[in-house]
Amino acid sequence: MNRIFILSTILIRDLFLSMFGIVPLAAAVAFGLIAFEYGMDQAQFITVGGVGTLVLCFLTTLLLASRANRASTYLVLARLHRRAELLASVILASFSITVLLAILIALGNLLTGRLTLAPPATFWIPPSWSPLLLLAASLGLALSGLVARGGSHLVGYLLLAGLLVANEQGALLADRGLTWLVRAVTTVIWPVSTLLAHASAGTLDGAYFLAGALTLGYAILLYLLAVFLFQEKDLCWSE
Amino acid sequence: MISINSLSKRFNAILALDHVSFEIPDGSVFGLLGPNGAGKTTLLRLIMGFLVPDSGAVSLGNLHPAQIGYLPERAFYPGRFTIRGYLSNMGRLAGLEGSQLRAQTDHILHQVGLHDTMSQRLGTCSRGMLQRLGLAQALLSDPPLVLLDEPASALDPAGQRFMRQQIASLHQAGITVVLSTHHLDEATRMCTHIALLSEGRLVRIGPLDSMLTPKSQVIITVGPMPACLRDQLTALAPRVAVTQNQIILTEESTNSKAELLRTLLDNGIDVRQLTERHATLEEVYLEATGT
Repeated sequence: MNRIFILSTILIRDLFLSMFGIVPLAAAVAFGLIAFEYGMDQAQFITVGGVGTLVLCFLTTLLLASRANRASTYLVLARLHRRAELLASVILASFSITVLLAILIALGNLLTGRLTLAPPATFWIPPSWSPLLLLAASLGLALSGLVARGGSHLVGYLLLAGLLVANEQGALLADRGLTWLVRAVTTVIWPVSTLLAHASAGTLDGAYFLAGALTLGYAILLYLLAVFLFQEKDLCWSE
Repeated sequence: MISINSLSKRFNAILALDHVSFEIPDGSVFGLLGPNGAGKTTLLRLIMGFLVPDSGAVSLGNLHPAQIGYLPERAFYPGRFTIRGYLSNMGRLAGLEGSQLRAQTDHILHQVGLHDTMSQRLGTCSRGMLQRLGLAQALLSDPPLVLLDEPASALDPAGQRFMRQQIASLHQAGITVVLSTHHLDEATRMCTHIALLSEGRLVRIGPLDSMLTPKSQVIITVGPMPACLRDQLTALAPRVAVTQNQIILTEESTNSKAELLRTLLDNGIDVRQLTERHATLEEVYLEATGT
């Protein structure tokens, strides 16, 4: 665990000492300015902010994974007891960066009066967003070139795109008799949508906790998939 | 003792290693020799676990790969880290902390001659400095085994000498060193054992001395000699060439040197000169690799 923590600090420093470090910062600033332009109440912040930080976390994970997918990682990897420690470090680093950026976005908008938060809501934002961020980080990792084998990441992107399109075009698909597909997509994304909807409404009931647990389950499954792909991968890096 | 057991690795159409088996004795300086593309780097990466073998296995005994000091052929570093900062991070990953980390980092920086430049950013370091840093990070946690992939390549003569001195110190300290190289002079000076690879196959292996001795020659220059004695001398050893005034003993027949000399002296032959000529690793290498 100590190695994972140390390695994640190395990854964070490496990212922000490089020019790529500007990407998550710029994305956070852009999100903070554009999404909050007309102000946000608490319910909107939990939903829109949750989706925004989820995308930010996904992007940051891809950046960190691409930084780790280089020849300089040989020396780091030589120190690790398991390859999976590198993947856990990427997730921890990405999670930490996103949490910090989310806090800065929230504080910035609170100070400028474009965000209003009642104290109780601030307590259930972390448990609501954390599974989402871990899901985004695990998904980014599984879709990264670092762990990809035989074009597995391309298949992953196609599946993700298909899922998002099917969710967006649910009515159209239902009209064409593909209700089974709509039901399947709704079931797959139920934990994420329920988690955000219930947190936003402030109804912390059984469905909320089940959705949180399932979202966390998705994250764990994706992490295990990434470990499975990375464990037996030939690491032939050059600069 | 590290055992390489029937290790094979293929990259698409290229067979990088073909059922290679050998053992690396503890405390040895083990040289992996071979032309470019022979499979040396692939073998080291398999030992480190960076590559997954198609067949066979590497046994490190009680060692875990994380305990091995490793210097890749061309190590790359995050350019904005300082020398000291980078080494400290590597030390933390190796389990060092606090005063122990500081002391070990200082010690190793002195050892590789980078102490005065420890605040320099890696992106501004010369190739020689980065190679010293590579060695420093490999030795940081006092590893019992060190793998060095072409450690002196692209170094100037002073850098090469520094690397030789470091490897000699490691050998004296009882640390097992495995180094890949195609610099035969470097291997002859440093290695106790040699494995010759060619096109992914192991073509020769053994202690350096035993690899060179069979190729040694003893040349005895003599005065006039009757023809019957020439036949007698030829029968004495399996590989002896007798000419009008020279007797050349090669390979295993050099053991018959004393008997041959006695025969010459007993027959009153004038022995004018005795020359011993040792084979070079280059001769062994060229013969073994067929180049």
